[in-house]
Amino acid sequence: MTTILAFDFMRRGLLAALLVGLAAPSIGTFLVQRRLSLTGDGIGHVAFTGVGLGVLLRTSPVLTAVVVSVIGAVVIEIVRERAQASGDVALALLFYGGLAGGSILIRLAGGTNAALGGYLFGSLSSVSDSDLLVIVTLSLVVICTIALFLRELFAVCQDLDVARVSGLPVRFLNLLVAVGAAVTVTVAMRTVGLLLVSALMVVPVATVQLLARSFRGTLYGACVLGAVMSVGGLVLSYYADVPPGGSIVMLSLAAFLVAAVARHFREANLGGA
Amino acid sequence: MTVFDLQHGTVVLGGRRILEDVSMTVDEGEFVAILGANGSGKTTLVRTLVGLNPLAAGQLSVFGTPVARFRDWPRLGYVPQRLSVGGGVPATVGEVVASGRTGRLNRFRRFSGADRAAVEHALEDVGLAHRVDDLVATLSGGQQQRVLIARALAGEPEVLVLDEPTAGVDADSQDTLAGALGHLSNNGGSVVLVAHELGPLESLIERAVVMSHGRVQSDGPPPRPEGHHAHPDHVHLHPHADEPSSSTFGLDR
Repeated sequence: MTTILAFDFMRRGLLAALLVGLAAPSIGTFLVQRRLSLTGDGIGHVAFTGVGLGVLLRTSPVLTAVVVSVIGAVVIEIVRERAQASGDVALALLFYGGLAGGSILIRLAGGTNAALGGYLFGSLSSVSDSDLLVIVTLSLVVICTIALFLRELFAVCQDLDVARVSGLPVRFLNLLVAVGAAVTVTVAMRTVGLLLVSALMVVPVATVQLLARSFRGTLYGACVLGAVMSVGGLVLSYYADVPPGGSIVMLSLAAFLVAAVARHFREANLGGA
Repeated sequence: MTVFDLQHGTVVLGGRRILEDVSMTVDEGEFVAILGANGSGKTTLVRTLVGLNPLAAGQLSVFGTPVARFRDWPRLGYVPQRLSVGGGVPATVGEVVASGRTGRLNRFRRFSGADRAAVEHALEDVGLAHRVDDLVATLSGGQQQRVLIARALAGEPEVLVLDEPTAGVDADSQDTLAGALGHLSNNGGSVVLVAHELGPLESLIERAVVMSHGRVQSDGPPPRPEGHHAHPDHVHLHPHADEPSSSTFGLDR
């Protein structure tokens, strides 16, 4: 462990992984509650265009990705609100456009396949000092926002109509979740990668809710698990020399399996008692 | 004081006219049932009253204020038609019911003793105080419906609007529900509910609005099927006035 910490890039990577691991499941809990688990994937695709734009314009890809994915998330939210039946296809079109746009822009900018892979599946060495500043700031903003609006977000995700009738600013809160998800996606892009970021938002929540006894328990447990998986996966990727996105998600899926087995035995015990 | 005043309301959803020139008012303290066949516009009517459906024509005022300018939403409680309590993440009965207080909370005020007391009362009203820490998903359908009603009651509304609260609910839950609504009504609250069959709610209902093909077919005393209820001189009394016998509905409060 001490050898890992000897490298600057690893220290930056681990700090980023810790914060991303906390932030991703916190927003993910609300996505899962609203049965929008795949939203993160969609935003990840759109963010790819933002990365391409950043590479092309020679500015920080993280910043352009934040801007583009926030715009994308707001568009997705508006499409969902307006169109009920056709929304599904409209969203699919947006996702494909995002991925295609990114691949073209990065190529036009002279990007390599390796650079492309780094954005899609995460890369250990890619977290620069300026990236780290953006990642730390934005992760903290996401976590604090959720803490501040916890009650309202729970009410809205629990029952949209009831929340509306009780006078809550439903549209604002929905946009808050969408923008929070977009920010989280871009923040997690360096460590987990755009194609796997959604897993870090969803899998810890899915794991903890197998065993949790309340919504709050699920939320807090998922954040802790997310942080452990994120940091653990990054360490694993260093030793195994694999992309961090892959090791973080595989580790999370393994935890899910363990939780599923534990639940099975718990229910079997309850049934026998 | 008039709670809801809908005049010549027309509602168009997905290009179809669901309500056509509907006028109805609900006064403070009234207990109104909205009856009618499937597709007659009952649900659309109550959703319109609580501001969920925009009016294509006509006016709606809530507590004397045009709905577009109405801001005092915590005075309303709404129980939508749901088969079960929603959400992909498990939540406890207590968490769901407490969310009914959210509209009354200020961001910088913590959940207070008064909030907790309101949640406890609401849970007692629907007979689920002992299940507060259980996951909602482990409850029966009728109990989940009671959780939804407790969530609305927790906001301490002056008027409660319920969409088919008795649909698919077991007899016990229907009795508890009738007790809770009777309690609210006795304390001066108004109740508007959509129902298919009235069951134990029948004796509570003071007025019935019967819908047919998106229009009000009749508005007046509820249809009394038989017996002394059918007598024109019959004075309707609540069987659950504030006396010991109020436990008729399994409610000891």
